[in-house]
Amino acid sequence: MTEAAYLRMQGLSKAYPGVVALRGANLEARRGEAVALMGANGAGKSTLMNVLGGVTSPDAGSITIDGSPVRLRTARDALAHGIAFVHQELAMLPSMTVAENVFADGFPTRFGIVDGATMRRDAAELLVRLGCNLPTDLAVETLGPGDRQMVEIARALRRAPRIMIFDEPTSSLTNNEKRRLFEIVQGLKRDGVAIIYITHFVDEIFEICDRVTVMRNGSTVDTRAIAETSPTEIVRLMLGEADSGERLADEVAIAGPVLLEVSGLCGGILRDIDFSLRAGEVVGLWGLLGSGRTELMRALIGLDPIDAGALRWRAADELRPVTPNELHQIAGIVTEDRRGEGLLLPLSTRANLSLASLRSLLTPLGLIDRGKEEGLAADLIGRLHIMVSGSAQAVGTLSGGNQQKVVVGRWLATEPRLFLLDEPTRGLDVGAKSEILKLTAALARAGAAVLVISSEPEELMRICDRYLVMSRGRLTAQMPGSATRAELLSAVSATPLRMSAA
Amino acid sequence: MGASIGQAEGRRAGRWSGVDAKLVVTAALLLVILVVLLVLAPSFFRPNNLVNVLVQTSSLGLMAVGMAPVMIAGGIDLSSPANMALGAVLGAMFMQAGGNPVVGCLIMVVAATLVGLLNGVAVALLGMIPFVVTLATMTVATGAAVWLTHSVSVSGFPDSFYDVLLARLGGIPVSVYVLIAAVIILGAAMNGTPFGRYLYAIGINPRAARVARVPVRASTCASYVVSGLMAGLTAVLLSARLGSASANMGNDGVVLDVVSACVVGGVSIYGGSGYVTGAALGALVITLLSNNLNLLGVSYYLNLMTKGVVIIGFVALDGLRRRAS
Amino acid sequence: MSSFGRLATFLLQNGFLVVLAAVFAFFAIFTNTFLASGNLIDMLHAMSPLMTISAGLALVVMAGKLDISVGSVAFVAASVGTLLMTRLGCPPLLALAAALSAGALLGALNGFIVVVLGVNPLITTLGTMIAFRGVGLQLTNAQVERLPEGVRELGNWSVGPFFGDTLIALAIVLAVDLLHRRTIFGRQLTAIGNGEDVARRIGMPVDRLVFVAFVLSGALAAVGGVLDTLQIGAISAYLGKGLEFNAVAVIVVGGVSLFGGRGRILSSVVLGALVFELIRNGLNHLGANPYAYRLVSGAVIFAAMYADALKSRVRRAAVGAPAPGEA
Repeated sequence: MTEAAYLRMQGLSKAYPGVVALRGANLEARRGEAVALMGANGAGKSTLMNVLGGVTSPDAGSITIDGSPVRLRTARDALAHGIAFVHQELAMLPSMTVAENVFADGFPTRFGIVDGATMRRDAAELLVRLGCNLPTDLAVETLGPGDRQMVEIARALRRAPRIMIFDEPTSSLTNNEKRRLFEIVQGLKRDGVAIIYITHFVDEIFEICDRVTVMRNGSTVDTRAIAETSPTEIVRLMLGEADSGERLADEVAIAGPVLLEVSGLCGGILRDIDFSLRAGEVVGLWGLLGSGRTELMRALIGLDPIDAGALRWRAADELRPVTPNELHQIAGIVTEDRRGEGLLLPLSTRANLSLASLRSLLTPLGLIDRGKEEGLAADLIGRLHIMVSGSAQAVGTLSGGNQQKVVVGRWLATEPRLFLLDEPTRGLDVGAKSEILKLTAALARAGAAVLVISSEPEELMRICDRYLVMSRGRLTAQMPGSATRAELLSAVSATPLRMSAA
Repeated sequence: MGASIGQAEGRRAGRWSGVDAKLVVTAALLLVILVVLLVLAPSFFRPNNLVNVLVQTSSLGLMAVGMAPVMIAGGIDLSSPANMALGAVLGAMFMQAGGNPVVGCLIMVVAATLVGLLNGVAVALLGMIPFVVTLATMTVATGAAVWLTHSVSVSGFPDSFYDVLLARLGGIPVSVYVLIAAVIILGAAMNGTPFGRYLYAIGINPRAARVARVPVRASTCASYVVSGLMAGLTAVLLSARLGSASANMGNDGVVLDVVSACVVGGVSIYGGSGYVTGAALGALVITLLSNNLNLLGVSYYLNLMTKGVVIIGFVALDGLRRRAS
Repeated sequence: MSSFGRLATFLLQNGFLVVLAAVFAFFAIFTNTFLASGNLIDMLHAMSPLMTISAGLALVVMAGKLDISVGSVAFVAASVGTLLMTRLGCPPLLALAAALSAGALLGALNGFIVVVLGVNPLITTLGTMIAFRGVGLQLTNAQVERLPEGVRELGNWSVGPFFGDTLIALAIVLAVDLLHRRTIFGRQLTAIGNGEDVARRIGMPVDRLVFVAFVLSGALAAVGGVLDTLQIGAISAYLGKGLEFNAVAVIVVGGVSLFGGRGRILSSVVLGALVFELIRNGLNHLGANPYAYRLVSGAVIFAAMYADALKSRVRRAAVGAPAPGEA
């Protein structure tokens, strides 16, 4: 164990306007070992790996490979130093064959013509080494995600890398494919490749990794040998010892009637989801990244298709069947990506606030009543304390917290009885977080059923009346509002249910 | 209960935001052209000629004003002039056979609107690429018009047709009033109705629009219907002015003029910005550009080249502006 | 899958073959002269300019872009060549070289505007389509210009039973097909059509490749223009008018997807051109209204594009990716 680290990243810092992504982060990896890199969203894992992959250049810090310092200015530099990066989003060319995809960054030629025979033969060889028997003239689009990943790995392996980075490699794999991947990783270790394995799935790293490095808020929190730690400890390291803020809402002893009932929901990665939401309660949807929380919210309102399941909604004092599209017209939804899917950035705050309520702001002639619109905007700006210099200010110029308030405000104007919020405090400062959380609690007090997703258990603990715990697309537990932080953490770090083999 | 005035970050989106600035650019261009004309060809400003220019602008303007909502929502309608020609031809043939001119006009409008509906359905419901769909519709519509007329222009409108449509109120022809009315009505619709807001939203960010409960497919389809409707109105007015209808009314050059008018008028090809008024002003600029060049003795062919350069230039600038922001 | 589902899938994948067979059968049955062998030779002869131009366009479409200026480029290039011979007495070979260079240059201009200025290829080639036609009209003053005596006879040159230009066109299409399937350039163009972002991530010089594709499209459009002029024996202001739409129609009906990255150029261009020529020729033999052709071909194009969009949606649904413009 005294072998020197093959890869040493030290003191790496990177700041973007308004956001510090890395603060003196460190990472080491030895030949033939797999280091797990873990951390919550925004912890800096991707940025650190982008630095290693030559995609981003750091503001400070050093990288040493095999004892010599290196500068990785471009992706080519990284490749030249033997670094291969298998991204979560595979770089596949769907209509082209497996062989062509494997050789996409360097087609073999003979007399100026692409040497198809060599390409197919070498690609087949690489795939066999990976334990994969794909015919190399299949179009990649006919392959499932597991096989496509094999193609991507084969492409990376062509250059005989010394360092390989895997970014969330198992999110879309079946059990068998995961086994195959793990064997490949073991094989790579035997060949002396240094592996960095980014994942959210704590159980996996105990199977194939030797050490784990945990990041939080842009710095490296700790590095442990796998043998000397436990899943719970890792989750605790990831999420930190943040104080739970004070409780922002009285726990609801008895909630109102059931407003939404979900049974047997299946679609995408979701499997057999059953739960119900009552009026006046805030339910926290808790789980690690990749557990399917966002997918669940999107499926509920029809942004993603459902394969099976029934939804019922209370109308006129009775639970009636309802489609996701109908729920969309009833619910307010604050998505994860407020800039990409929430706001119309060039438009004014007023226009963004009124967008979902336009039909109720009309004059008898059918035109938008500007007075009423302005009144609505002013009311919401006041109620939510949105810092704008005037309702005409373009929403794209507001701070993150205020932007989020605009999104919430838009739905408030429609007085929904169901509110779905996905990571509503992401990227906000402490003060803004509190405000949004208070707003969320107030929504429930007004009689709506509220479902909140957050990756920070402390936040949920400030407002939730109960918790739904998800893992790998299933609801694995329901916990009361009195659950402690430790209980919440162990609910997600315990070995989850296995997905059925494909 | 006023707005929370506080330390708002970033610049204000005041009156001179990038969007309004585009109208200013168009207006400035207009001014430049008028000045050049004043200096080089003052005969341009004779009342008769001015009226002529306005009349010419009205047909291009109506189509541009109809295309603006489509472009604002992020689409494009290349078939507008061809729809106009087809509608014109159908109505004209009806009237030539002795039909009632009112019904004839109705046929022109309805035919073009129906083709617009076809475009709308293809784009909004079938998910086809707007450029390609309207290119195909354009070909079919022109083909149909050519087939129906055997490439011969159709005339023989009844007198009442001309009497109404070529009339002048206070010295200004009906077609100019129609254009102004269209600008006012469509402008009001785009600025002041939910439909208009929806189109802007779709053009800016279709994903966000969908989440915000904007009826994306219905609105997109409706925008193409509007374009068809405007093409139909143009058919009526243009047939009256020309005294005949032919398949050639909607040739390639007209398409470029319509798109140019919108682009020069500040309606971005990428969607989400621009005003109906801008499209009308743009039509005026393009008309003046054509006239201008004619007056200066520039050949028709050089005219074409200039137009090609103008449209590419404006879109390039728009693209540069977007990337810079 | 139900038998209806299987039929639908088969039709979707092989639609154009079905159309081809149906059209052929229709005209063979309903006319007397359609099946004569001389007719087939004539059809291939008439198709040659279109095949050449479509081959060039197919390269651009393969990269996910579009070039609707090809008709105007053909016109300008052919005008340049013709005028050099008739006004300046240039030797034919030199004139040919000049024509090809003109085409390549115009293609390069398109490429420049798309790649360097970053203007959408649709708008770019819409603008250049009009501008280039203006150039051509200016050069020829919209007059008909007949080819010099000796050159005009080349229009009838035949090799064995086939016309010379048919062989040239087929050779060109074959060469472009090989370029597409067997060279790094062709493979990379296909990659760009599959996904420009992915292609960049993999490290391909996307801008350079797209530029070259436009140059080739221009050059081949020039060849097509030359072939067309040779057939007619003169340059007229109508040369190439509407040719771009026909070329797009040919490759779409033949199976090259407008979304990029898919299709086989050889079969698409030849069979696609054959479909339209069959329709035109057949309508002629039927004694139908000559203007019916535009209408019928427009309908065929519409159906082909619809099928293309449908196939694309099916593919995207299988992957779970959103359609352009949807959530």
